[in-house]
Amino acid sequence: MPDAVNKSATEAPNFPFERTCPFDPPPQYAAARAAATVCPVKLWNGKRAWLVTRHEDIRAVLSDDVRFSGAMAQPDFPAITPARVMVDKNERAFVGMDNPAHDAYRRLFTREFSVRRMHALVPRISAIVEQLIDDMERSGPPADLVPALAVKFPSLVMSALFGSPYKDHEFIIRCAVARHGLTQSIEDAEVKARELAAYVRRLIDSKAAEPGDDMVSRIIEEHVKTKKLSRDDFAEIGAMILRAGHDTTTNMVGMGTLLLLQNDPIRAQLAADPSLIEGAVDELLRYVSPVQFSPRRVALGDVEVGGVTIPKGEGLFMLLASANRDESVFAHADKLDAARDASGHLAFGFGIHQCLGQMLARVELQIVFETILRRLPGLRLAVPLEEIRFKHDMQIYGVHNLPVTW
Amino acid sequence: MIKIHVEPLECIGAGQCVRLVPEVFDQREEDGIVVLLTAEAPDHFAPRLKKAVQLCPAQVIRIETAA
Repeated sequence: MPDAVNKSATEAPNFPFERTCPFDPPPQYAAARAAATVCPVKLWNGKRAWLVTRHEDIRAVLSDDVRFSGAMAQPDFPAITPARVMVDKNERAFVGMDNPAHDAYRRLFTREFSVRRMHALVPRISAIVEQLIDDMERSGPPADLVPALAVKFPSLVMSALFGSPYKDHEFIIRCAVARHGLTQSIEDAEVKARELAAYVRRLIDSKAAEPGDDMVSRIIEEHVKTKKLSRDDFAEIGAMILRAGHDTTTNMVGMGTLLLLQNDPIRAQLAADPSLIEGAVDELLRYVSPVQFSPRRVALGDVEVGGVTIPKGEGLFMLLASANRDESVFAHADKLDAARDASGHLAFGFGIHQCLGQMLARVELQIVFETILRRLPGLRLAVPLEEIRFKHDMQIYGVHNLPVTW
Repeated sequence: MIKIHVEPLECIGAGQCVRLVPEVFDQREEDGIVVLLTAEAPDHFAPRLKKAVQLCPAQVIRIETAA
């Protein structure tokens, strides 16, 4: 038996795979889905891990807290880079916890992202986008939409919601990138993780002294002062919220806009009927699936997934981008179709760890795409597609640049 | 009529149900956990309620359609 295990480990392909088309996941995902198996791969450290590629299997694993653990600090937790091992080992926020601890911490923060709260933010978020497009019109055309809009927009929203001064957004983004890269050093990942937590601790202290109308001030008042949450735990969770709130939305704005620019019929459809935008945002999330190498789990025993037995202690990657192209759930899955019902997509994950900020992301994306289509109807790429640099070097997929004119 | 059950102890407050069927589901102000505004809904809610059951990430919603 050990021989068989070793044999399959040496034969397993190296992971991650490369994309052959910048708009589609690596072709190996579709091949794995067609074979209807959970397939073994070899990671950078020679360890074997398993790719879960089908929609149904991913939902099943992520719903199963008995047979699988999502505790990131355990030695068996599968990681895509050596830097990520360091990051996972030091993860103190509930994103890296199993239940019951996960739910206890998460519940301290859910109200901050409730549907009602997010709807109440709509006027502020709209004002931010309108202002950024005013700025683009004043200094352009042309413009690079990534720095001008995709980066600034979620930074300004997070600043208003969380309470982090906007002037700090470049530092926060550097910290997020040091965690979400595929090429950063272990030292850089570790230092930036520590620096961001220290930054949030200082922010907590300054908001404790001088409260504002923001998340940090509210959490201090409701949970820190009442001893439900320690300052240090809040700092770790706050750092997670800041990273997630900046990087993911930026990438969806960049990739989403590029996809709209490449699809004139869809643009025309959405411009003519903005009520389609809510569904189109789900479709863009499905199609892009920016989170590439999470969620991850460890098998707590010898467990069966999709007919394959995963040995105890081995790691699994849920390939959300693969689930979201699963033809058994989404007909013509490789086609972007703004009119389809894409609501069953797994771009935000599934199970207890499903994205805490998903309602914020939805509202942000609906507003930004609606505003772009309305304010800049002549928007188009200012360079050939070949000059767009896709984020092959990042765990969160998107574009580094998006030169546009209008 | 359709009967609706939720299990608030296992809810994670993702808000999918509130987004899909705001006439039936709400979130508690203090912690974002699910609250039923009504335990029964007319039959024409079935498609949206089924969607809420399917999309709930913590799988804490059940519906019963009267025979």
